Amino acid sequence: MKSGRPHAPLTPWVFLAPYLAGFTLFFAWPLVRSLVLATEQTYGPKVTVYVGLLNFRSILGDPMFWTAVGNTALFTACSLLVQVPVALGLALLLNRPDIRGRRFFRLAFFSPSIVGLAFVAIIFGLLLEKRTGLVNTSLHTLLPAWDPDFPWRENYVMISLVGSTLWLSAGFYMVYFLAALQNVPRELLDAASIDGAGSWQRFRHVTLPEIRPVLNIIVLLVITGSFQLFELPYVLYNDTYGSGPENRALTVVTYLYRTGFHSGDLGYASAIGWVLTLFLVGFALVHRHLTRREET
Amino acid sequence: MKSLRERFTRFLSPGALVILILAIASIVTALVLPRTETKGIPFWVSAQPHYESYRPIVAEWNARHPDRAINLMLIHGHALERRMLTGFLAGTPVADLVEPNSSTAAKGFAGPLESVGYYDLTERIQAEGLLDRINAPSFAPFTTRGRIFGLPHDVHPVLLAYRADLVEAAGIDVSTIETWDDYFRVMSPLMRDRDGDGRPDRYLLEAWDANAIATIILLQQADGQLLDGDRPTVNLPRNAYILARLVTWFTGPKRVCIDINQDSAIGHRQRLEGQVIGCLLPDWRAGQWKRENPGLGGKLKLMPLPAWEKGGRRTSVFGGTMLAINRRTEHFETCWEFAKELYLSPRLAEQMFRETNIISPVKELWASSFYDEPDPYFSGQPSGRLYIGQAPHVPVRTSSPYYAYALQAVCNVLAELRAFADRTRTYDVSTLQAEAQRLLDREQRRTEREIERNVFLQADS
Repeated sequence: MKSGRPHAPLTPWVFLAPYLAGFTLFFAWPLVRSLVLATEQTYGPKVTVYVGLLNFRSILGDPMFWTAVGNTALFTACSLLVQVPVALGLALLLNRPDIRGRRFFRLAFFSPSIVGLAFVAIIFGLLLEKRTGLVNTSLHTLLPAWDPDFPWRENYVMISLVGSTLWLSAGFYMVYFLAALQNVPRELLDAASIDGAGSWQRFRHVTLPEIRPVLNIIVLLVITGSFQLFELPYVLYNDTYGSGPENRALTVVTYLYRTGFHSGDLGYASAIGWVLTLFLVGFALVHRHLTRREET
Repeated sequence: MKSLRERFTRFLSPGALVILILAIASIVTALVLPRTETKGIPFWVSAQPHYESYRPIVAEWNARHPDRAINLMLIHGHALERRMLTGFLAGTPVADLVEPNSSTAAKGFAGPLESVGYYDLTERIQAEGLLDRINAPSFAPFTTRGRIFGLPHDVHPVLLAYRADLVEAAGIDVSTIETWDDYFRVMSPLMRDRDGDGRPDRYLLEAWDANAIATIILLQQADGQLLDGDRPTVNLPRNAYILARLVTWFTGPKRVCIDINQDSAIGHRQRLEGQVIGCLLPDWRAGQWKRENPGLGGKLKLMPLPAWEKGGRRTSVFGGTMLAINRRTEHFETCWEFAKELYLSPRLAEQMFRETNIISPVKELWASSFYDEPDPYFSGQPSGRLYIGQAPHVPVRTSSPYYAYALQAVCNVLAELRAFADRTRTYDVSTLQAEAQRLLDREQRRTEREIERNVFLQADS
């Protein structure tokens, strides 16, 4: 049944106007402005000097930036290799109908993702504290020879970061995998069983292809999320403004923040932001290319 | 005739209608609510103890000058920094009087001199003889390119606080201590394994490579230097020597230091349990401990820092606050008059010392009798007099906005050097010094690079 009156041509634009206004004000304009800012050196909006591509050239030769890129890439790789398999493993386990209390476990594994990275950083900071932290005091109680001053955070920077993120994110991605696993047709799995496929073969040739779209999305989320890592190192290594010992916890976004808001060099920080954007766009394009090739 | 509800729901669903009503109600409420008009010249303070000390003096000023009242406001340190810098850079409202700490103040010095948001007080301070009345090193963090932009609030000399109860129970005489080597030698009987696990449970000094505060206190005491004006001096041989010696304190067979969390309840508990004997204590931190760790009262005593070499400096400096006037103020004369009345006031000096243990930078007030009173927290010692005794000797600091960058660079080198020592089992100072020099040279180049990118500082220099 049609409504009585046709829509005026402007009607869609009226509905779109609030979004377009917000988008222009908070996304498009800052995006353009930050590109301009990346070509300037500023001391507030009133004092600016145009420096062309100097900020970008400086980034290319900036060892701190490349340290940050290296740390971030390492964190991303570790996150991919740890978070995704753990989340998938948990989902496969908690998708089994014979597991008792699986609803409770699903909630328990998902619950850390509610609290956020800053909170996780505070908890892990306390756990890994020298002498008074739970990890060192427990180990010292069990093994009296254990050094209660063992510097977990200082010596194992990347493991501390990846471990903290794993605790937070594994349950979150597990929920995605669970949803995907519940959509794997039962009859396909049954048919594979009848054909003599074992559990690994069923997973490899039935389950994995069926959940691949979700897996691809999760891989993309982990990569982009890891490249934007900021709060966790910033709070966990608060005493060094998020850099960690010898800059081993310095990420691209932490470096951007420090440059922009500690050193006050907003132009250079904008340039770092644009380089980070190029990285992420590059990853997304490669990822898209690979997933399309798989689909065809 | 259609009902009102039908008329509305023709255009909007019931849910959308509720949202619309709530939105309108919120807007109307926001518009109708009375605004609290603040009267007087705004004065932003971020330290709660300062705020409490200033309140009665501001109240008296306002009673005497109702037409030139001061509106004292306590705001969080981060908020003060963001609002002040945003105001200076983008022209948003900033209080006429602001009291930033030294690291926040330095961030206002990154641009060209003519764009610094604080009022240039150089001529006033010189003309009114304040340079002679106020402890000279206290001006340094608020002076850039030869211009002074604030009145210093404090001196913040550093003394060594030690567990007198443990030291005296062990029959140790501290009067023979002159250098750090003396200190570690004399105190060494106290560093022992108390629970039989083969490791010491008590160390002699609270300092660590991750503890930037202890590092900079010790480095400055030893005449190490990060910046000379805005020129980096990270790789001075003296810095390399100090870092090398510090590493031998942190690790290896002669380890004497422990890493204790600075301002946390855990750290206070560790101090109370006697896990550490000595701590580097600026005057303001003494006041903080009195509030946060009263259990240490009567267990501590103060002494000048042991020197790095015989005849060397027995103190250092950490922290600092200034009173600055917004260069856009329309009430400069009132602000200046008030600033002098507040900061030069004998009454404030006494109140500030009693409440925060902070000594005044005004030299003529150092003879005041309240600084001589016995302090029960420090086992009856006159803590004020002890801090004043070292005040003229505090090292001169930098006001460079790159101070935090350079300090971070040095702390990174210290961490790398400790890792190098542990990895190679090298604990002799000369080998460590050579490695420290190599690492500091690298950081020097990085810091130079960072500063060279600032076209404003380059132009001014």
